[in-house]
Amino acid sequence: MKTLVKIPLMILCALLAFFAVTFTIYVFNLDMKATALLEPLLEKWYDDLPRDQYL
Amino acid sequence: MKTVEKIVNPVPRAGEQSPSKIYDPRLKVRARREWRGVKDTFYDYTRWLYLVSVLVRFIAVPRNVKGFFRYRWMMSYLFVMHGMDKFTIGLRDEALRITHTSFNYVIADVTEAISKCFRGDRRVGNDKEFSDRCVITDENSMVTFMMGFDRFKNPTILREVPTMFASNIFHQFNVMHYLDIAQEYGIPGDVCPMPEAEAGISIDDDFCVLGACAVQNNTTCDGSLMGNGIIAKRLERQYGIPTFQLATPLRHKEEDVLEYAAQEIKNAIAFVEKHTGAKWDWDLYFASAKRVNESTRCRIAQLEINSTPYPQFFGAAFSLYNDTNYMGNSGRNEDFIKIDHKLLELAEKGYREKRMYAKEYRHRCIIWGVQPQYTIDMLYWLLQCWGIVPLADMLSIINTDMIAEEDTPENREQAYRDMAMLNMEMIMRNHTHGGYKVLLDDLWELCEKMNADMVMMWEHMSCKALTGMHGMFEEQARERGIRLMWVSHDLCDPRVFTRSAIRDQVSAYMRTVLREEPLDPSLEHIPDDEAY
Repeated sequence: MKTLVKIPLMILCALLAFFAVTFTIYVFNLDMKATALLEPLLEKWYDDLPRDQYL
Repeated sequence: MKTVEKIVNPVPRAGEQSPSKIYDPRLKVRARREWRGVKDTFYDYTRWLYLVSVLVRFIAVPRNVKGFFRYRWMMSYLFVMHGMDKFTIGLRDEALRITHTSFNYVIADVTEAISKCFRGDRRVGNDKEFSDRCVITDENSMVTFMMGFDRFKNPTILREVPTMFASNIFHQFNVMHYLDIAQEYGIPGDVCPMPEAEAGISIDDDFCVLGACAVQNNTTCDGSLMGNGIIAKRLERQYGIPTFQLATPLRHKEEDVLEYAAQEIKNAIAFVEKHTGAKWDWDLYFASAKRVNESTRCRIAQLEINSTPYPQFFGAAFSLYNDTNYMGNSGRNEDFIKIDHKLLELAEKGYREKRMYAKEYRHRCIIWGVQPQYTIDMLYWLLQCWGIVPLADMLSIINTDMIAEEDTPENREQAYRDMAMLNMEMIMRNHTHGGYKVLLDDLWELCEKMNADMVMMWEHMSCKALTGMHGMFEEQARERGIRLMWVSHDLCDPRVFTRSAIRDQVSAYMRTVLREEPLDPSLEHIPDDEAY
């Protein structure tokens, strides 16, 4: 019986935690802010790739 | 002057009253997301989760990771959610749902296109069997000549869409690198930056290389022809991909060009059959034709709703969805019909409930000319800041005629003419070429039909197709009492006209010519020039 109560409770807690984390990321636009930090590093990566330029 | 009734929104906006607080000059993205009230914020959050899931599913495939680190333009797709935020400013209720439904589907479609590109790409997935079944086309090509081929067996890949066009929606600076490359190789800087960037991508070795063959179209301008030449040379000579030039007549309103255009379609089909080994299937063609007609009916119904005092499906999302459906799909994918119906259902509900998406509607506006509205949130800003309702835009005013959809011997011959007609009247070409009837007369007819009192003319600095008619637009607008507002831009090169420079032209016109004050003064100057 205890397990039967425990499992839905754990699922509910996990869902609430998922909502709390993702909603915070969503509201404060943390996803895009973090991505914007990556951009200069990626630019450098792409600049360093060898290219076969051809016209 | 023509006047339209000003309508004040009797319902206060849910959530925050002005979206101006979400901008921060120190950031390249929004400071936070807009608070739209509990119901709409939660809806927006669920769509955000959906887009996260699309991106996660995409990046979970190892070859997509490899492609991500190979191609510079892939970086833009990190900013998909930022792009979505641009096109939902101030929106609530049905308009928010319409924008998400249409735009999210376009994003999912583009993601699928990228996956296909990487699967067949000689440098990434290198699935030769798959690549040998694919046909690649231009970003501005109608794919009518593929309507009778199985879209699963012979995928059509509009290679430039994910590479240049869609990626620029999410990141306004992403093509500057390619423009610089093109100009380093001596291509002049005064051609349209869209084909110039595509040429730059080809020169910089940043296109996926795949396909049994390619079909290019003489799209709309000198820049596009130049770009096609550069791209075709590399495709054929370096990669050995045979390329067909689908030469479509530009004077598409003249009847005597139709037979020639139909013959060109037959030639393109024969070319695809020869290089892919596939056979044209009339059952598939007529099934696609039925879907083209159904999409046309839905688009006409949407425009009818927009001609009432309560327009519902407008802005960049309307245009982008029509672009994708009409040109990139051409009835081949049945899922678009489901989306068409869902969008129409939402719009009808919004219309019945008289939904408005700003405090006041002051002007009803047609957006005309070569438009940069994919890279900036201009049309939503017009509505929120000045109460100007963007009813329809030039790229969305496409074919409204029904094509033959029953399989009969006569209709099989008619089908070539229908495909040719759709191809000739594709987006951009249908209004920028074909004489002044399609550029000017069609505009005034549309103003009448949509009850518009204003036209915003996008003046693309590098586009030669429209520059000769500047004076005629002014003269004819004056005769009809239409307010004509010129707004200059340089499409996807933000160094020539920044977002502020574009918006300031509207504000200057509204203050000095119309002597009006903004609905929301806090939106007049938005610090987003450096934002993606």
